[in-house]
Amino acid sequence: MPMIAAPPTLPDDPADALAAVGALRRLADRVEDAAVERAIVDGWSWADIAEALGVTRQAVHKKHARRLQRAAIAREER
Amino acid sequence: MAFERFTRDARASVVAAREEARASGQHTVESAHLLLALAARPEFGLDRGRLADALAHEEEQSLAAVGVAAGDLEPGAGGRARREPRFATSSKLALQRAVAIAAKRGDRRLDAGHVLLGVLAAQHGRVPRALRIAGIDVEDLRARL
Repeated sequence: MPMIAAPPTLPDDPADALAAVGALRRLADRVEDAAVERAIVDGWSWADIAEALGVTRQAVHKKHARRLQRAAIAREER
Repeated sequence: MAFERFTRDARASVVAAREEARASGQHTVESAHLLLALAARPEFGLDRGRLADALAHEEEQSLAAVGVAAGDLEPGAGGRARREPRFATSSKLALQRAVAIAAKRGDRRLDAGHVLLGVLAAQHGRVPRALRIAGIDVEDLRARL
């Protein structure tokens, strides 16, 4: 798992600071994908996952249901 | 210039970029995926593996700069890919630049070389940073296109 290696500080070079934003967004996407999958495996409902993420159930379902159904992790029903 | 002016190779590169995004589990097609797709073609003398390593290194460096060490986060059985990754701003911009470059040169068709020029036109972002890490001389590469 990713971990904080040092207290976050803003890099001096704006190019490095801006690149970090992109890298963190991609990392957040990967963590979300893994976290939603684990929650589904653990029996969480889409509504509970959505509430935990602070997004709508439709949003989380649209983003994750298809890949998890394809991998037979989530059931077809909504 | 419309998409129908794209040569078969140019279209294939765009399709391959989407495959690169899908394979890496990303939700969007970025200019970095266009770069990898183009590097996989033989005619530019680029090494796709080396660029993929450089992009991974760039990400690691960028995270480290804000104190985050990216460990292994293996995708689960569900994978990470959306069915159809969307083209993001960076890849759209690269294609717009490719169109502008072809128009400026007075080329009637837009080939994979134009797409690469469009990708290389970025002054900021992951692509120039990764090219720098890979030790690729962008000016030299552009001059050859």
